[in-house]
Amino acid sequence: MSFFDLKGTLKPLTALKQFGKEPHTITYPKVSKEAADRYRGFHYNDLDECIGCGNCSTICQNAAIDMIHLEGIEGGKGDSGLRPRVDHGRCCWCALCVEVCPTGSLSLTKDYLYVSEDPDSFLWTPGKDNPGGKEKISFFSTEETSLNVFQRVPMTEIEGTERIKSFAEVVLGYSEDEARAEASRCISCGLCTEVCPDHMHIPEYINAIANGNDADAVRIIYDNNPLPEMCGKVCTRRCEDVCAIATRGEAIAIRWLKRYATETAKTADIIHEIVNPEIKEANGKTVGIIGAGPSGLTAAYYLALRGYGVTIYEASAKAGGATMYGIPKYRLPLESLQKQVDYIQSIGVKIHFNTKVGKDITFKEIYDHYDAVFMGVGFPDAWSLGVDGENAKGSMQAYRYLYMINSGEKVDVGDKVIVVGGGNVAIDAARVSRRMNAEVTILYRRRVEDMPADWEEIEGAEAEGVHIIPQAIPIKVIEDEKGNVKAVEYLMAEMVPDERGGRPKPVAIEGSNTIIEATAVMAAIGQMGDYSFMSEFEDKIKINRGRFVTNDKQQTTDPKVFAGGDAVNSTADAISAIADGFRACKAIDEMLSKK
Amino acid sequence: MKELKEQLINRIKAHFPDITVENNFNYNRFDVSINKESIHSILFYLKDVMGFKHLSDTNCVDWLEEGEFEIVFIVWSPAEKIKIFVRTRIDRNNPVLETLDMIWPQLHTYEREFREMFGIQFTGLEAPDEFILEDWQGPPPYRRDFDTAAFAAETFFERPGREDAEDVREAITKLTGEEIPEFAKKYSR
Repeated sequence: MSFFDLKGTLKPLTALKQFGKEPHTITYPKVSKEAADRYRGFHYNDLDECIGCGNCSTICQNAAIDMIHLEGIEGGKGDSGLRPRVDHGRCCWCALCVEVCPTGSLSLTKDYLYVSEDPDSFLWTPGKDNPGGKEKISFFSTEETSLNVFQRVPMTEIEGTERIKSFAEVVLGYSEDEARAEASRCISCGLCTEVCPDHMHIPEYINAIANGNDADAVRIIYDNNPLPEMCGKVCTRRCEDVCAIATRGEAIAIRWLKRYATETAKTADIIHEIVNPEIKEANGKTVGIIGAGPSGLTAAYYLALRGYGVTIYEASAKAGGATMYGIPKYRLPLESLQKQVDYIQSIGVKIHFNTKVGKDITFKEIYDHYDAVFMGVGFPDAWSLGVDGENAKGSMQAYRYLYMINSGEKVDVGDKVIVVGGGNVAIDAARVSRRMNAEVTILYRRRVEDMPADWEEIEGAEAEGVHIIPQAIPIKVIEDEKGNVKAVEYLMAEMVPDERGGRPKPVAIEGSNTIIEATAVMAAIGQMGDYSFMSEFEDKIKINRGRFVTNDKQQTTDPKVFAGGDAVNSTADAISAIADGFRACKAIDEMLSKK
Repeated sequence: MKELKEQLINRIKAHFPDITVENNFNYNRFDVSINKESIHSILFYLKDVMGFKHLSDTNCVDWLEEGEFEIVFIVWSPAEKIKIFVRTRIDRNNPVLETLDMIWPQLHTYEREFREMFGIQFTGLEAPDEFILEDWQGPPPYRRDFDTAAFAAETFFERPGREDAEDVREAITKLTGEEIPEFAKKYSR
């Protein structure tokens, strides 16, 4: 050993490397180690985002999740009002509930420490009992990792340029495989049934389709809707707006699935065979129905099933009302509607066509002859534009135009059509005019996103080459010397926010006058009722703001008379009319069976 | 990397012509499937000759509809930086395989787990019968036909205090007055 030991001098200095490190002593108060990034600890639920679909509760293999009412959470459209409560004594932290949560509101946190002697205290409502959990979320689902399928099976359609050559149906429908795949995406929560005016049994028939049992699906559908193929093609489908899957993805194609199921029954006879309706023995009571629209047909079908003698009086040559004469055939082919009407007639419903009440038969005759009366008279008249020159030749109501085209009449609209309005009637008139080889422009006073028409219809119209001018207010129809429509003058509008919180209002900009050439102008700004047929009954049956006054059973101010459809409800769609008809049927049955 | 993977596949194929290869991954992975008789030889070959020294993971997949179990060995080569998924299938009704723990000792633990959770018998595996489950009498719980929900319902009693739970579908029908026909109820959730 030498006198100067270099190694022995330097080696102890290596201890300096410990200088910057944390000491291995226990800190006080004790701090728990933070859990791993994807740790699956206690649940956290964002109560505002949660829609109470109950998918977590259904998937839980340990039956640890209950759906319960919480104070202050009411529920409503697209929300059941229930929220999950977890029994942490049963939970095994598999996190399946998180992976199937459609909204992504449910997640697991890094919290994992909880000690208590009271076993009941393990019952928590995530989100309510641990509001601080939001900061500690570690295991959550994204659109990619979720076990839900967020992409809809695409629907095959004829291309835009090809479509305008004919009135062939645009949407081609799902194939069997496509329908099964689409139906399998449904989580069967039933939130959709709440907003459906008719409360159809949506999860049940979709599940039947997913299980490969189309006949059961048809039977379930016919339980409260006798015109389902029509709905499967043209329903306003509010159900899809509240679909749980739509919170992060594309809603289940509920309408197309209904269409798929009902189209498996190709003829009225096959529908009869599948549905195999139980028709009660005739009870000797009779019901007269005015108007063979969706509400009248629905009331007639279910009343006939219950043993009533049902007679419908229809002013037109065909049944279906607005669905027959208002909806273009490329959306709802004649054969499809005819098949459904044939089936309704096949169970014993009598329809007198070309019989206008008030002209061919009086309302009093019907009132006196039948034990009860149902009116599904619709809105046969349209609002006029109320501008100068609107009586020129070539200026017409879009609704009348569709009526004439659908009855097979020829209407000359020239090659430049202007449609005024933004609802489905406006879009329909525009797309029909496109098929008549006209250039079509839609003038709408608000923005495109404010249009009440179905977005698919608006997109379809654009694909077919319909030109939309938003924020345009027509002020004058200009005639030529022969009295024909020559042009339309309109003002541009700016959107002014509504002070009372309503939707923004269009206000015309002075001096922004524009003139657009036209050979025809169609007004599609709304329709109204015509109640002159009631004559002396007009005092007895109350009408308010152009609609019949009814109670929640569709009963008018005359107890014997019921009403439904556009002439009653303000939603003005087929499914609301069907719901009215169904409700009226139950009320009439209740009233007459008591007598 | 693509070339390297091709090269490795060709080398394996030269010795094991029966394998099916899946090589459509755009990262450092490819899969080979082989019959159960050759699984020992291919794993020995990959480990001792080709340098896939590391066994990253072993898994079992229950192909209930096809009546088979699939065992997947994930092996890794530190030199080539490539991982191979080696797959083999065995009959679900007679799930027997010879033990592989002489290749990687840690397979011993995996095999005990597969035996208990899937009911796969490994001939030559020397280990006590019980692994994680205590006094387990029922069918192997990782099999897909094992009904976890029914097991939980049968095994654990319901604690009081949860009676206020509601069914979502029923709550909605109560609200709307919807009447679901009896024959349709089997399709409800």
